[in-house]
Amino acid sequence: MVTIDLSGLEIRRANERIREAAAAGESVEVLNPDARHHIGVGVIHPVDIHVRGSAGYFCAGLTDTPRFHVESNVGWGLADNMYRGSVVVGGNAGAIAGVAIRGAEVVIKGNMGSRAGQVMKKGTLLCCGNANFMAGYMMYGGRMVILGQSGERLGEDMTGGEIFLGGELRSLGSDAELVDTESAEIDEVLAFLDRYEIPFKGAFRKVVNAGKKLRYGAAERQVRSIPYFGFSGDSDYWNRKIQEDVYIKSQIGRYRVRGYGGARELPHLSDLAFRKDIAMAAVGDDPVGDVEMRTKIGGKNGANPLDLTMPVLIAPMSYGALSRSAKQAVAIASGMAGIAENTGEGGMSDAQRDAAGQLIFQMLGGRLGWNIHDMNRADGLEIYISQGAKPGFGGQLMAKKVTKELAEIRGIPAGIDLRSPSRHPDILGADDLVIKVEELREATGYRLPVSVKLGAGRIHDDIKIAVKDGFDFVELDGMQGSTGAGGAEVMEYVGIPTISAICEAETALASIGRRDDIEIVLMGGLRDGVDAVKGLCLGADAIALGTAAIIAGGCIACMQCHVGQCVTGIATQDPEHEARYKSKVEARHIYTFLESVRWQIAAIVKALGYADVRQLRRDDLVALTPEAAEIAGLPYEPGLRDAGPFRAAG
Amino acid sequence: MAALDDAGANLLPPELADDTDDRHYVPAPCQIACPVGTDAPSYIGYIWEGKFEAAFEAITATNPFSSICGRVCDAPCEPACRRTASDGPLQIRNLKRFVMDKLGAAWKPEPAPVTREQSVGVVGAGPAGLVAAHDLAVAGFKVDVYEMTDRPGGMMIWGIPAFRLPPGVIDEDLDRLAARCPGLAIHTNMGLGRDIALEELKERHDAVCLTIGSWWGKKMGVPGEDDPRVIDGVEFLRRVNDGDRPQMPKAVVVIGGGDVAMDACRVALRLPGCEHVKVVYRRGPDEIPARGIELEGAVEEGIEFVYNTQQVEIVADGDDGLTLRCVRTVPGDPDDDGRRRPVPVAGSGHDIACGMVIAAVGQFGACEDAATGALMGADRVDTEWETMRTADPKVFAAGDGAFGGSTIVMAMGHGQRLAYYVKAFLEGNDNPLPYRTPWRTRRVPVAQDLDWETLGVHHPPFHGVGDNPVAFPEIESTYTWEAARNEAARCYRCDAETGSADYSVRNREDIFLMARTARADAARQAGMLAKRLRPRENPFPAERPATVDDLVFLPANLSRLVIDPYREACKVATDLGSGRMEIAQPLFVAGFDNAPVDVRAGVAKGVEGGAAGYIGVRPIGGGAPWVQLVLPGQIAPDAGAAGLVHAVGPRFQAPAALGRLRDDQLLGLAVSHAGALEEAIVFGLENGLDVLLLNGNAAVGRDWPELDGAPDLSLMRDAIRILRRLNREEEIDLLWFGGLRSGTDAAKLIAMGAKSVVFGMTVALAAGGEIVGDRAVVFAPDRGEDERARAVANILKSASGEASMMARCTGKTNLHNLEPEDLRALTLATAEATGVTLAGKH
Repeated sequence: MVTIDLSGLEIRRANERIREAAAAGESVEVLNPDARHHIGVGVIHPVDIHVRGSAGYFCAGLTDTPRFHVESNVGWGLADNMYRGSVVVGGNAGAIAGVAIRGAEVVIKGNMGSRAGQVMKKGTLLCCGNANFMAGYMMYGGRMVILGQSGERLGEDMTGGEIFLGGELRSLGSDAELVDTESAEIDEVLAFLDRYEIPFKGAFRKVVNAGKKLRYGAAERQVRSIPYFGFSGDSDYWNRKIQEDVYIKSQIGRYRVRGYGGARELPHLSDLAFRKDIAMAAVGDDPVGDVEMRTKIGGKNGANPLDLTMPVLIAPMSYGALSRSAKQAVAIASGMAGIAENTGEGGMSDAQRDAAGQLIFQMLGGRLGWNIHDMNRADGLEIYISQGAKPGFGGQLMAKKVTKELAEIRGIPAGIDLRSPSRHPDILGADDLVIKVEELREATGYRLPVSVKLGAGRIHDDIKIAVKDGFDFVELDGMQGSTGAGGAEVMEYVGIPTISAICEAETALASIGRRDDIEIVLMGGLRDGVDAVKGLCLGADAIALGTAAIIAGGCIACMQCHVGQCVTGIATQDPEHEARYKSKVEARHIYTFLESVRWQIAAIVKALGYADVRQLRRDDLVALTPEAAEIAGLPYEPGLRDAGPFRAAG
Repeated sequence: MAALDDAGANLLPPELADDTDDRHYVPAPCQIACPVGTDAPSYIGYIWEGKFEAAFEAITATNPFSSICGRVCDAPCEPACRRTASDGPLQIRNLKRFVMDKLGAAWKPEPAPVTREQSVGVVGAGPAGLVAAHDLAVAGFKVDVYEMTDRPGGMMIWGIPAFRLPPGVIDEDLDRLAARCPGLAIHTNMGLGRDIALEELKERHDAVCLTIGSWWGKKMGVPGEDDPRVIDGVEFLRRVNDGDRPQMPKAVVVIGGGDVAMDACRVALRLPGCEHVKVVYRRGPDEIPARGIELEGAVEEGIEFVYNTQQVEIVADGDDGLTLRCVRTVPGDPDDDGRRRPVPVAGSGHDIACGMVIAAVGQFGACEDAATGALMGADRVDTEWETMRTADPKVFAAGDGAFGGSTIVMAMGHGQRLAYYVKAFLEGNDNPLPYRTPWRTRRVPVAQDLDWETLGVHHPPFHGVGDNPVAFPEIESTYTWEAARNEAARCYRCDAETGSADYSVRNREDIFLMARTARADAARQAGMLAKRLRPRENPFPAERPATVDDLVFLPANLSRLVIDPYREACKVATDLGSGRMEIAQPLFVAGFDNAPVDVRAGVAKGVEGGAAGYIGVRPIGGGAPWVQLVLPGQIAPDAGAAGLVHAVGPRFQAPAALGRLRDDQLLGLAVSHAGALEEAIVFGLENGLDVLLLNGNAAVGRDWPELDGAPDLSLMRDAIRILRRLNREEEIDLLWFGGLRSGTDAAKLIAMGAKSVVFGMTVALAAGGEIVGDRAVVFAPDRGEDERARAVANILKSASGEASMMARCTGKTNLHNLEPEDLRALTLATAEATGVTLAGKH
């Protein structure tokens, strides 16, 4: 038994020592815990950890197999994302106890706060006292047992799992219902109580998902998108695309869903040009050799930064939206090019981890596939707040894509139309976020850069919060970003364009003098080295390519990702369709594309007279439209548009 | 249109129809692979739509031998098809055949008259010569074609057996050619050097084209090949295609792996006496040049392929037969053409016994004419590819006889190129723009087939040698309409926009090219970069009006809490006139005063089902609240109406008889003109009116005014500005009518300041209305009342759902909490018209 006295020790050092002891197979005793946050996070060994007193936020969070014993009370987020193992709390637990557990056993002898077991996947959460409101909120699976009162709205919007209630039912949540119990399952509950030596004599009622919400009678008729370019000009206000849209909605009575990126042209980096001619004569045969492009991202606060051979990353795209084969191809290509790949929502596969050189692990509110082991083997962490394509929404994956294997990796029931939560259970504001970031750093020993992904909206405010909350970098995603599925109206009309996002971010950070305290990775509709350099000129430290990489790897942009039977095998989980995708061949194409991007970046940097990408400045650009001039604060020079297709190139 | 190609330099003269300057079009790989530039994606799209005549036009526009090509083209389009890598290429040739079989025989093309003085002589009526003749005749020249055999067609008829190409099919094309080109005369039995001399042709014509083909089979160069039982493949096919059906030995060996070998072996198998055919090929199955479908057909018919085997000698076994002495080979170093040279394996000698050897190892061109001979190299006419000229300034050449053995369609491509340079020459243009195949598109919409991703390759039924092989029955059927449509549905449409703005067809193709160009290839990298540096067209030109489309919502992120748009509640209930009227959602419907009775009945039910209200001159019926639109001097205010809204003209005049007929009746004004706004607002406030209906589409006295286009959003902006200036914003409720097409549009107007919105045209569309002609709406009669009611209720439900979804994205739990600050404008025009900040500014 190793004894750790928190009265004179920083939590960071304490957690290091707890993990060391656990790794050595030693049990741990924590004295004077004094309700400190993050006690024991990140432990992945089956040892006993005794907390002699009360613990703060996220006690036992992000762990696998330890057995925690907390004598007194705990703060919110108890056992956050705990895989296996157990926690027994002698007193009460705060809000979201047992959030996102994936197999752990959590026993609270007293009462528990609101939203207990939110998005839990597997395992058992037992509350011997009363629960507060919305216990089982959006739970996907596992078992909750409440011996006392239920609190309001029990099982609100739960998708799967079971809640056994021994006490009074205050009210049922939306889409939850009472069903009959079977004696075998009651026996199992009682056996569980026995194991933790908890006496209970009463009867149980059982609450499950009623399955009435988010399920629709009339299926949306799938159509191939109608390209329409005038879109909303004067003459064609009621164009064919609008008519089709009205017709389909008049059949289904709800918003439409579709995949891919926006159908409308928006202000874009394309509306900027370089002030100087990009003269090919000045570029030479091998500009790559003449320009320094190596870029490190994420080291501002002492973490090991991503070390990129050029200021380019792969944008987050999930295994789920994309097939395993497509993800593998992207990972291989990113590794070959020496840049970073990103898991997107929904977990990390071994194949992807092995193929990618550097891999960012994305973490969403649904906590799908989020676990300590994958965090530990990542090269960077990313908290998803929203994405450019559909800010305000979590991931959306139509049932056709939620295969058994995918459901397994995400910890959800197979075959559901997955609409991930819009918010994190434990991030309700900037202050929560600080503590969450700290938890992630504690759990991974401060090794990994922690970033935040923001779909572009109120960037002026959001970016200030991001820098104040201590993120290492922000992934800024304009509304030109794509997605596997989303509400069609949201994709077209929520968020601001990528060019607007970066300009607003720069202005905001400059206004508080904090530009140097955070790095920005810009994404959303960037397609090549030209867009990349423009993004860098506007202030981004690096850019990310998503759809463009997918197109390089065989995507035909049919905009039917949401249907789930992608003809090329990219955006599908249908094995027959996936078999059409040749990962190795397409990896080579994606890699070649990335190398062409590299060539383009180097060529432009060199033609502008620089030897290092970091020398790029906003003044290297001019605007070709009045809108771009206004947004970017650049001179409007429409004459350059007509100055020839590639000015001085020939 | 003159076209600018990808490199930005290769212009084509205006008379060559080419669409590559259309920024929404990129020629698809299949079209690029086609030597005559056939617009395959368009005809495939037309087939799916059932527009066979349009498909026929697209097919035949650049190909006078479309019926023949539908049967026997080697279809380089198919391996180029991007679906090949997925689940197999589109069966483009079979689709062409489907159309040609449907329309090819009956079609009567428009004759192209002779319009010029000059004439051209063409030697050889094969695919190159006839296509050149066709193009020149269509251009107005008189053309005479001299053919040494007794019929036109060249290798198309002499080289291809009837089981692949029935004679009737050839006649279809030739008949069409004759009808199309009255100035084109074909003189058969006119051999150059035999019946006519080049010098004579040069005197008769202003230019001469040599398209003499590659007519003679090459020798194998092995001992024993002079035995009469060793024959050459092209000669063999010529004999059979002339009607000969020789008695064959039991066992026949064909040497070679090209198209002639494939036809020869299959012909041999069908002839009397032949029981077994072997094809001996010196390379492996991966290198065999024969087209896949030919090879598969041969295999299916029972022909044996002996790969990696090379003949070294033929030994006669008296009258009994032949022994073909062979060695096995292995692939060695790459040859000049990149293929690995077969290297004999020592000690691998073995014999193949047979009764006949057919050598199909290549062809050469020859001509008995002395003057022509002087223009020839070893086995073909010396021709400069860049100009199609020979050493004689008046003599041009093309086809196999100029550039070596190729395919029918490639020879046809040569013919087009030849015609281009001959025409330039005849027009006195010594320095024409370099030729490239022109590419056109017919801009056919993408097929709306729900199964296009899963439909697999469909091959038409294959019959093989048939019941009576020697009659050469056709080996394959034409598609049925259903099969053709399914096959057509599979097309990726690489040529077309798919609806993505940022990944337009041009951007996609550029990315595709970037993914296939090595970084070290600096020249191509520079070319691609130059292309990528070109700016896009400005999507927001000055003439683009302010529009609700150019407004976006700002989502909640960190600074605000997003409300889960899938699950969490957002209130939409609406109170108008401080409690005088409460509706479940802020939606009204208007515009059906003059609609047909049954439509009105359906809409009335739908409005009720959608929990909205109705605004109109007269009540629509049903249970939904009716707000009466009172027009001056028309129907008097009705005490039964839930509200009275008096229309105000362009210049404000206080309405007569203004007043509530009962206490809970909503009272207001409808304003359509900015000029009347200020006075109407002041009047409304002074008289305690409840609502102001702002009409952004102010067409006087006409149904469906929204069809005029984008509404005038500045009316809303100005109304809010006036109310703010008076500091009485909360005292009157604004209703908006005009140009709302979705719940998103509704939410935008609500954010700008409307308390409720009015849908017109959108509901008409939902109720089965179709926009016809100049701004009229016709309702399809085939919809029942309940069907219309359901559709109207659904569109209202979806509008309400979408509006609240927007509100929740911005972090609102009540739709009415949306405010202008939740919006950003994408264009300066819209920012100006709405007073909303430009996106990216704070």
